[in-house]
Amino acid sequence: MTDAPEIYVPKIDRRAALAWIGVAGTVVAVGSSLEGCGPPPIKPKYAGGYGTDPKLNPPVKAPWPRILSQDELQAAAILADFILPATASAPSASKLGVPDFINEWVSAPYPDQVKDRPIVQGGLQALIPKLVKGDAATRAAALQSLTTATDDVGKTFFKRFRALTVGAYYTTPVGMKEIGYIGNVSRASDPGPSAEVKAALDVQFKKLGL
Amino acid sequence: MAEPYDVIIVGSGAGGGMSAYHLTKSGLKVLMLEAGRDYDPVAETPMFNTNADAPLRGAGTPDKPFGFYDATIDGGWEVPGEPYTVAPGSEPFKWWRPRMLGGRTNHWGRIALRFGPLDFKPRSRDGLGYDWPITYDDLAPWYDKTEKLIGVTGAAPARGLTNTPDSPPGCLMEAAPPRAFEMLFARAMDAMGIPTIPMHGAIVTGQMEGRNTCLFATPCGRGCAIGANFQSTTVLIPPAKKTGNLTIRTDALVYEVELDTNGKAKGVSFVDRKTGVHHSASARSVVLAAGSGETARILLNSKSPKFPNGLANTHGMVGRYLMDTVGVSASGHIPALEGLPPTNDDGQGTEHIYVPWWGYDKQKALGFPRGYHIELGGGRQMPSMSTARLLDADDTSVGDALRDRLRTRFGSVMGFAGRGEMIPNDDCYCELDPEVKDRYGLPVLRFHWKWGDSEIAQAGHMSKTFAEAIDKMGGKPLGHIEMDGRKAIKAGGEIIHEVGTARMGHNDTDSVVNQYGQSWAVPNLFITDGAVLVSSPDKNPTLSILALAWRSADHLATLAKQGAL
Repeated sequence: MTDAPEIYVPKIDRRAALAWIGVAGTVVAVGSSLEGCGPPPIKPKYAGGYGTDPKLNPPVKAPWPRILSQDELQAAAILADFILPATASAPSASKLGVPDFINEWVSAPYPDQVKDRPIVQGGLQALIPKLVKGDAATRAAALQSLTTATDDVGKTFFKRFRALTVGAYYTTPVGMKEIGYIGNVSRASDPGPSAEVKAALDVQFKKLGL
Repeated sequence: MAEPYDVIIVGSGAGGGMSAYHLTKSGLKVLMLEAGRDYDPVAETPMFNTNADAPLRGAGTPDKPFGFYDATIDGGWEVPGEPYTVAPGSEPFKWWRPRMLGGRTNHWGRIALRFGPLDFKPRSRDGLGYDWPITYDDLAPWYDKTEKLIGVTGAAPARGLTNTPDSPPGCLMEAAPPRAFEMLFARAMDAMGIPTIPMHGAIVTGQMEGRNTCLFATPCGRGCAIGANFQSTTVLIPPAKKTGNLTIRTDALVYEVELDTNGKAKGVSFVDRKTGVHHSASARSVVLAAGSGETARILLNSKSPKFPNGLANTHGMVGRYLMDTVGVSASGHIPALEGLPPTNDDGQGTEHIYVPWWGYDKQKALGFPRGYHIELGGGRQMPSMSTARLLDADDTSVGDALRDRLRTRFGSVMGFAGRGEMIPNDDCYCELDPEVKDRYGLPVLRFHWKWGDSEIAQAGHMSKTFAEAIDKMGGKPLGHIEMDGRKAIKAGGEIIHEVGTARMGHNDTDSVVNQYGQSWAVPNLFITDGAVLVSSPDKNPTLSILALAWRSADHLATLAKQGAL
């Protein structure tokens, strides 16, 4: 890895960031405007979430405010790029905005994400001295030790952070191509598996005695 | 609203949509009341949208339990402001409701299997459950018509398998070609002596008059902007509207059927979910198709001197014999599917093959009386937040090793879902909660649930079969496969096949409606949703609800023309 990691610059635009600031106000305004002229307003169960009727097409952006500090984001970028660094043909995780997504995930008001929040944010905080403030040797050693962690906290953090990184990376168009997904395209018919696929399968059938 | 209408239909899903389709085409003036909001599949369906563009990469949340892009609106396991309860001491029960035009047909699984002859006469077969007042042959012509109308794939040479009807020639479109994982699974099943056959999917995959052909991409659960699969909002409601005989009012939550002095239905009361204002609408007849739970709730809420315990509930049958489908899931990592040449596994929205129940002649030896079918998933699906599941639990690889492993394993995970028959029992029912009200002040449903020993034993057998199949394919279970049926079985309602709260029967003491969905107690009141089902076979209920609704609507139209309502 390079000596001084690049400073991670969030890939969210200013308009989106401003929208997060307005979120709480919007909910109150909608609620109060209904008062006195209809059934009692519905209080969203997950305040700040996208609600039960979000716009799907085109999809709304996650509306909740983000909680990670710049140092936490920087630690996330360094770790994400340790997990998925750039290759000759594919960009690094941070180039695809994975740290922003980690921030979106741990900031969300929903139960799965709330459960992940202390695991991921706590893990990142603990790593700041070594990953963000440490020198290259310290950083490299800290990253390497994550893959061989034996304590439950360390293991859980790395597993969860890596799963989020993998999910975020491979759901992008670049990641989908990288993993070999060639679908989501309109076709006139479904021809089924190619002769090559069938031939490869035949080899497996023989091996398995099927 | 221009009144009176000939018919008020409550609900716009499979039962309501089909009722509206036939009744408007028969020249009757219909008012359709839908509790949810209006919905435009053309503009709103997120076809081809990627997970990268969705909040949380499309992962499910309590606001959108089946994923961000799932078609369901304003609902899921909870509808804001409209709770339900589960009685103390009951086993868990979950109730999935949307609040949108077209109801659950917008997101459903599109699996369209016919019930078989034995499914209509279960008590005659083994002394358990209850017989329907009709036979398979009574419904068969309506299955034929329904398949031709909605568009169903799965045509194959007739197999004559027990209780697994072959549709007559001309009903189904060509079967989808099995993908690599399905070919392997079929070999494994064959080695276990178990047949696999083409799945019947409510998807237009060939040429069909007036319909678009499937694009063989983008999941059906999001809905279909081009109407290539079956949704009430794309297949039934548009032609009904075209007749000029259909008026639709959305955001109209019906809570009561009103009676005239002669004890006949004269209309319904509803609350506008947006304004909270209460309204009435009148018609010569009323069709309830609000979904089994909501239909029962409306009946139970419709109290009058003649029906102090709820409409058509003189014999306490409303809410009774609530059923769901037995469900068990498992998945496996199958190395034989690793590293296959690049392939596009998007296909029609359902699996291309499935396993119909194969043990009709050995139920005694198996130790449980009723069967299940197996649905499967796999192949190279669009990556999601669960992509890391491709890795072993103790894997900590990074960099090139991680990239290689993911690329190699992509498409090597297979998932299995057992879907089994549930025998109706006295412990499964719904009633009005004596205390809890919704945000409109209306009593809510309280559910009682208990799986029977038959279902528990069947669930355990599902796990055993999945484990054996994974082993035959040279794979390993992904996570733990629970062999104890009691622990493996999903919660009541979780398969979203809740049916049977106002069943049809032979007379007014054993049922709520007759074989045409016509109420015994109120002759101009019909029920055309899953509430009328007498049994809950392993086959997914939607196709049968559609066929029954068409048959019932035809009877209603005939009576209306005769002036008999």
